[in-house]
Amino acid sequence: MNKIVAMAAKDIHILFRDKLGFFFTIFFPLMMAIFFGAVFAGLSRGPANIPIAVVDEDRTAGSERFVGRLEAAEGLALEQIPREQALDQVRRGQTAVMVTLSPGFGAALDNPFVNTPQVEMTVDPTQFAAAGMLRGIMLEAAGMELQEMMNDPSRMAAANEANRQAIVAFTPASPARDDFLNFLDLSGRVSELIDQLGLNNVTTDAAPGGFGSPLEIEQAQVQAQRRGPTNSYATSFAQAMLWTLIGGSVSFSMSIAIERSRGTLMRLLVAPITARQLLAAKGLACLGATLFTSTSLITLGITVFGVRPTSYPLLALALLCGSICFCGIMMALSVIGRTEQTAAGAGWGISLPLSMLGGGMVPLFLMPEWMQTLGNVSPMKWTLMAYEGAIWRGFTLSEMLLPCAVLVTIGVVAFTLGARNLRWDTG
Amino acid sequence: MLLFDHVSKCFGDLRAVDDLSFELEAGEVFGLLGPNGAGKTTAVNMAVGLLEPDEGVVRFADKAFDRNPRDAENRRSLGLAPQSIALYEQISGADNLRFFGRLHGLRGSDLEERVAACLDFADLTDVGKKVVSKYSGGMQRRLNLAAAIIHDPELVLLDEPTVGVDPQSRNAIFDRVEQLRDGGKQVVYTTHYMEEAQRLCDRVAILDRGRLMALDTVPALIEAHGGPGNLVVRTGEGESRHETTEPLKTLGELQARQAVDHFQYLPPDLETVFLNLTGRALRD
Repeated sequence: MNKIVAMAAKDIHILFRDKLGFFFTIFFPLMMAIFFGAVFAGLSRGPANIPIAVVDEDRTAGSERFVGRLEAAEGLALEQIPREQALDQVRRGQTAVMVTLSPGFGAALDNPFVNTPQVEMTVDPTQFAAAGMLRGIMLEAAGMELQEMMNDPSRMAAANEANRQAIVAFTPASPARDDFLNFLDLSGRVSELIDQLGLNNVTTDAAPGGFGSPLEIEQAQVQAQRRGPTNSYATSFAQAMLWTLIGGSVSFSMSIAIERSRGTLMRLLVAPITARQLLAAKGLACLGATLFTSTSLITLGITVFGVRPTSYPLLALALLCGSICFCGIMMALSVIGRTEQTAAGAGWGISLPLSMLGGGMVPLFLMPEWMQTLGNVSPMKWTLMAYEGAIWRGFTLSEMLLPCAVLVTIGVVAFTLGARNLRWDTG
Repeated sequence: MLLFDHVSKCFGDLRAVDDLSFELEAGEVFGLLGPNGAGKTTAVNMAVGLLEPDEGVVRFADKAFDRNPRDAENRRSLGLAPQSIALYEQISGADNLRFFGRLHGLRGSDLEERVAACLDFADLTDVGKKVVSKYSGGMQRRLNLAAAIIHDPELVLLDEPTVGVDPQSRNAIFDRVEQLRDGGKQVVYTTHYMEEAQRLCDRVAILDRGRLMALDTVPALIEAHGGPGNLVVRTGEGESRHETTEPLKTLGELQARQAVDHFQYLPPDLETVFLNLTGRALRD
């Protein structure tokens, strides 16, 4: 038994002496706990403000009431803007969902016995979770609208009268028509009869009957309207390309530590080459490798999975800028780790939080606002924006300039900082 | 070719090299001996320009090294075989040599000729296309040495080149070092093994705590610092050991007292010199 305890104690001792092991055993879970804690704290207060664009083409009292209910709902940041502008914002990823209330929506809302009110959602494909939440909020709003109407005798009477006139006008007299008209008369008195019978406080396990869904929602992805058939691989391949950059930069950041520990760094330093040449070689290798892997991946996506980039030149630009950015990150990371283990630990320890903040793991809208703001410093966010912009968001060159400029700036600054602080000692 | 002129180097409070002076002569194998922490590796690192002396001057080919250790035009004329196996294990031996050759400016047929010559030098021609990770320890050591001379340098620094190899490989490395000397190269050879220095080195510098304790040819060092030899005799009463500078006279005196069944004279060697100069206390 003593031998077992001694060996176990030794392994635990070594674990805590190992910085990488310590990081993944203690620090990383702690970081995850803080991250998801903050996310769930945000969720418990309701979803963080999901940007929604409303296009009210109906402009009736009913549609305005419905929009008012959405504005009152927690977690939505509503703005009413013209259709083209809204669509553009969704395409550029600035708005999660565009909700369109077509003409006739208000009339259907005021008289749901004849037509179910319909809305159209145009969704950013990366924001399906947000769309799901919005769908729930809209159903709730329509349900409340229906409930209020049924509790309002004057509105019920108005609806019934309109329906009575339509039925009388368009159907021949018959016993069935008379029965239906009598039903309409009675339905206008539902609230009154419920009060008279004292049924307000009665509960029952029986399944609710009557009306179906109070709202009919038609959902479409943004690119479906602009660029042809939807392809879910378009979004997943953009994410995968980002992860190749992360993996590549972490691997290359370890290479200097590996050269040091294997002794080859000493050979390189003794060779007649300058530090700049050595750094340039490392940068070029990282750039080449990340460009190759990300290009291979999207080529596979295009040839096998039917991904259709909206612009090949912009895709090439995005690939180049993403690789430049992560080459810089590689150099900055390589300064931190002295050994292979610490270099790997530092690489993943920094990349994973940045990826979290950049929306690489949890949709940005689920995060508290401070986290979303912090996410602007994450190169992962800008890389994804550039990739998606070229693959399916249909960015123009001017729209692509911002993410690309941010990526190149991050890359140059990180590379410079890394190169200046790189330790050339060999032992 | 290589000159250390009153060179000192400190790391914090530690004076790793203290007022070290020596000059290599043409076509010699120069041994750097010393216990752990003696300053051998620091001296080698200054010799190849990886470290800058705090005091004194390291001159190479009559030109002082630049302050920036990466600014290394002079390094075309020197080759280093580090103590660790400084090779890329994932690529072949030939490709390792090709890579290091390119770093030194070799191209085309010149490069291929040097790769072939170095593989031959290391007796690895047959396995040149195999990845290094498949090599035995001895083969890797030989390739490590070959990589140091791929660009045909005038000065070769070998930092403990026989660590962890079997006797056959060690002998093979000795042969290669002698080949280098015969080819007119200057060789700086650091080692813990006295027999290696005694066999290979024309002159030996013994360092301890950063200071040069002695520098001369091996016979001269033994003469100066070896002290008396040991005469080991076996008689009917058992075995005994006698320090002496005149073994025949001492043996005669012993035989006069009692019959000697067997005797052996152990003359002072480089190890005796080393221990006499650096003491017997353990070093960390």
